[in-house]
Amino acid sequence: MDAFDLDVRRHVYFSVVANGRPPTAAETSAALGREEEEIAGAYRRLHDAHALVLFPDTTDVWMANPFCFAPTPHRVTAGGRVWTGTCAWDALGIPGALHCDGVVESECACCGERLELEAFGGELVSGGDVIVHFVVPARRWWDDIGFT
Amino acid sequence: MVFLRSEEHLHRWLDDRGFEPGATFTAPKLNELARTWWWSRLDPGWRPRSAGESQALLESLDLTGEFWALQ
Repeated sequence: MDAFDLDVRRHVYFSVVANGRPPTAAETSAALGREEEEIAGAYRRLHDAHALVLFPDTTDVWMANPFCFAPTPHRVTAGGRVWTGTCAWDALGIPGALHCDGVVESECACCGERLELEAFGGELVSGGDVIVHFVVPARRWWDDIGFT
Repeated sequence: MVFLRSEEHLHRWLDDRGFEPGATFTAPKLNELARTWWWSRLDPGWRPRSAGESQALLESLDLTGEFWALQ
């Protein structure tokens, strides 16, 4: 991953934190003063390197993990915003990435019952009786990240 | 990676979908993993971790064995 791609990635993540959504390739092009096609190429390379996830056949950001920009059952209140977590792991990762406290509102994958977990001072202070299951072994996480 | 309210619901969920059991742990353990894994994600000087670095991070949380092997 070269310095340009790291700059583009940094801009995407900073925009996510500042605006609550990822920038389009056109917006990143304008912000960094580079041609849109160069930015689109960087987005695709970052996707291939698993540093971002794009919606299929687009340059629109689906995931800047742990943040997700499509509906999931995992809603996270942290750092003054409400976010969407890609999965259980990412949901609890949002307060971690933002270095703040947070509340995860989610559901039991089996019955849909509402579950709430609260991270405070780095510790889980509610929801400690909830369990977590990983179906996909680590070496196959990126085979189908949407399913994982 | 899903949340479930109990072991009973986990087993029902696996049976309903025909999934083989993977790895199960508690939400506090996931919080520890999530916090460690994502802590540096927004650092201005972020660089991708190598597979070896990621594996070492998992091992530091006692996530070892075939299921947690990244390669």
